[in-house]
Amino acid sequence: MPSQPPLPPLLAPYLSSQPESSLTLISSILGATSNWLVLRLLYSALSTSTNQTFGLDEHDGSKKKVVLVSFLRGWEFWKVEAKRLGLDLARLADKKQFAFVDGLSELFSAPQSANAAPTTSSPTGIPPRTSLPLRGPPGPVPGRGPAIAPAISASTSSVARGPATSEPGIAKKLHFSGRGTAALDIMEKDIIAVIEQVKASGDSSEEVLLIIDQPDFLLAATGTSMGIGATEMSEWVTGLQLNVGATVLTLAADSPLIHNASVSGNQGATPVEGEHASFAIGLAHRARSVMQLRTLETGAARDVSGVLRISRGGGISSGADTLDEKELLYYIQRDGGVKVFGRGES
Amino acid sequence: MSFRKRNIGLSAGVDRAAVPNVSAQPAPIESTPGIRPSPDDGRPTTSTGTPSLDGLLAGHAGLPMGKILLIEENGTTDFAGALLRYYAAEGVVQEQKIHVVGVPEQWGRSLPGLIGTAESLEEKRSDKRKDERMKIAWRYERLGEFGAGIAGARDAPTSTGIPDAAAKQQNAFCHAFDLTKRLAHPSITNMSFIPLVPSRDSPFTSILKQLQSSIASAGPSTIHRIVIPSLLNPTMYPPSACQPQHVLQFLHSLKALMNAHAARITAMITVPLSLFPRSSGLIRWIELLSDGVIELCPFPHSADALATSGAATTQEEPPQGMLKTHRLPVLHERGGGSDQNIGQDWAFNLSRRRFEIKPFSLPPAEGDKEAQDAPASSGMPKKADLEF
Repeated sequence: MPSQPPLPPLLAPYLSSQPESSLTLISSILGATSNWLVLRLLYSALSTSTNQTFGLDEHDGSKKKVVLVSFLRGWEFWKVEAKRLGLDLARLADKKQFAFVDGLSELFSAPQSANAAPTTSSPTGIPPRTSLPLRGPPGPVPGRGPAIAPAISASTSSVARGPATSEPGIAKKLHFSGRGTAALDIMEKDIIAVIEQVKASGDSSEEVLLIIDQPDFLLAATGTSMGIGATEMSEWVTGLQLNVGATVLTLAADSPLIHNASVSGNQGATPVEGEHASFAIGLAHRARSVMQLRTLETGAARDVSGVLRISRGGGISSGADTLDEKELLYYIQRDGGVKVFGRGES
Repeated sequence: MSFRKRNIGLSAGVDRAAVPNVSAQPAPIESTPGIRPSPDDGRPTTSTGTPSLDGLLAGHAGLPMGKILLIEENGTTDFAGALLRYYAAEGVVQEQKIHVVGVPEQWGRSLPGLIGTAESLEEKRSDKRKDERMKIAWRYERLGEFGAGIAGARDAPTSTGIPDAAAKQQNAFCHAFDLTKRLAHPSITNMSFIPLVPSRDSPFTSILKQLQSSIASAGPSTIHRIVIPSLLNPTMYPPSACQPQHVLQFLHSLKALMNAHAARITAMITVPLSLFPRSSGLIRWIELLSDGVIELCPFPHSADALATSGAATTQEEPPQGMLKTHRLPVLHERGGGSDQNIGQDWAFNLSRRRFEIKPFSLPPAEGDKEAQDAPASSGMPKKADLEF
C-alpha cells in the first residue's frame, strides 16, 4: 500500500471538525501513545496545504489557531515531529497562530541553569568559579543535538518573545507552586494569558483550538494529599474550555489506571487510581467524542501498530451533530508516516 | 564472512582493549567516544554496555541520548542489577560521568571488569562455534545457527555502520565485561554517588538538586549517565518516597532535566516488581514517564533442571528468564508498534561474561523420544517430506 498523505483520508473528517465548545478525548495506553494523533490534529488545524491535497475540505482557508499545552513532551519533540509532516511550528508560533505552553521543563523544579545567569543565584554554592554561570546558559542549546541545529537557527529570529522565556517558540513555561486549587488557578491564568495573546493577534474571529497533552499526569503527580482531586482537575479543564473554541485532551487509559478503581474487591484502589478513573470517566461523559488508542488484543503484528476506536462521548448534542462511530487500524511507519485502514483492508 | 576479516578484527580489538582511550578527551562532541549516530534516524545513541540489549532498542543499536530506560524485575533475583552494572561500567570505560542514586560507594566498586570490546568477545565465540560446526551435518548447520543468526542480524549496524578502516581508529562503542572481575579504570573515580538524605519533605528533592547542579556545572562536552538502582526499594528509600507526588514529580523533573540537555544524558532505572506490581497505578505512571520499559521475568529456580535440558546445543546456555518489551525509546513516542523485534518472545541469559537476550523458543520435551520419532503426533514434517 502506498504511503498516505499526512492526514489519512479516513481520519480527516474526525480531525478537521471540532465544533464550537466541544470536548474531544484521546485516550492512550503504554504501548499505543497518542502523540501521532495529536500531531495530525495540529496538522489539520494549522496546515494550509490540506486544502490542496483534498479538493473538498469544508474549512477552506479558515485556519484555526492552536494552543498546545504539553505535560510530558518538550518543545523539541513537537517541533521535530511536526516538521516531519511539513508543519513549521516555530514559524507558526512567530505568527501567533500557534502557541506552545511547556508543562515539562519547569513544572515542579525551579529553573536551575536556563535563566540562572541574570536572576536566580544558584543555591548550590559555587561562588568561586564565577565564570561558570556564564557558561551555563549555552548548555541547553548545544544540548539540542546536532541533528536539529538548523531548526534552531531558523527560529532564533523570534527571540523577542518577552522577558518570560528566552527560548524561542515556547510561549510560557508552567510552574506548579503552592497546593490545591490555588496552584491550579495560577496555571490556568498562565494558559489563559497565552490563549488571549493568540486570540488578539491576526484575525480575531478565528476560533482557538486548545490541546492539553496528558493533564492527567498533573493529577497523578499531585493528588488529593496536595489538595487536587478529580473534581478540581475537571473544574480546571472547564475553566480553560470557557476561553477557547474547542478542546482536545489526551489521557492515559491503561487498565491499572481505569479498572483498578472499579474492582469491588477487598483491596481498595489507591488514590492515584481512583482519582484518575473518576477524572477520565467524568471527562468521557462530557466529551463529544472519544478517540481511543490501544494495541491489538491478539498480540503484536508487524503491519499494525494499534487500534483506533472513535466513539461518541456522553456530551454529544443529540440533535444535528452526527458522528460516525468507527474502529480503524493504524500503522506508524519507520519514517513517522501513518497508514489508517479498516479491519481486513491492507 | 571470510576467516581473514575476522582475524583482522580480532587483533584490532585486542589493541583497542589494551590502550585505554586517554587521547579521546579533547575530541569535539561529534566524535565523543561511546556516542554514535543511530542507523535508523541518525540521532546520537550510546551503548547500554550489553550488546544484545542495544540491539533490542528499536533499531537504534543503542540507547538514544536523552532517554530513560526502565528495567523492571520480578522476583528476588538481581538480573536488572547486572544490566545496570554493565551500563555503569560502559559509562566508566567511555569516560562519561556517572551519577548513581541511593546506593553507597560500595556499589561502584563492584562494577564488572573490562575484558575487551564486545566485538572481540563475539569473534572469539564465533570462532569457537565454527570449530564445532564441523561436527554437525551440513543440513542442520543452519538450524543450529538460527538464534545466532537473528542476533547477528540485529548487530549488523554495529559492523556495517562504520567502515572497517575507520573502525580501527574509532573507539569501540560497546565493551565486554566480566562479572567475576572488578573494574579498574582511571576514570572510575569520576563516578558520583548521590545519597538519600532523610528529610520531612520529598526524599527526592536533594537528589534532583545535586543532579541539576552537577550537570549544569559540567562542561557541555561531558556525557552523563544517571543510574538509579532499585527505585522505591524499601531497604533504601523511606516509605514516603512511594507517595505518588514525590516519586512522580521526581521522575517528571528528571525528564525535564534530560529534555533540557537532551544530547548529553541517558538514564537507566530499575524497579523491583514484586514489591510494586505492574498492575498498580503508580508503577504504570512510572512506566508512562519512561521512554523505554523492559520487564524481566526470571524463571523460578526449580525450573533450572528443565531449562538446562532445553539448550539446543551444548554450547548454548539455557535461558534464565523471559524478557518483555513494553515500550521502546523513540519508537513508542512516535506511536509505536512497527518494530521488527516487537511481538517476539525474548529470553535472557546471564553468564559470567555477558547478558544475552535472544528469541525464546520452547525446548523439545526431554525423554520424549517416541514423540520425536513419530513426528506426525508433534506436528513436525515427516521424515519423508524432508528427504530429497
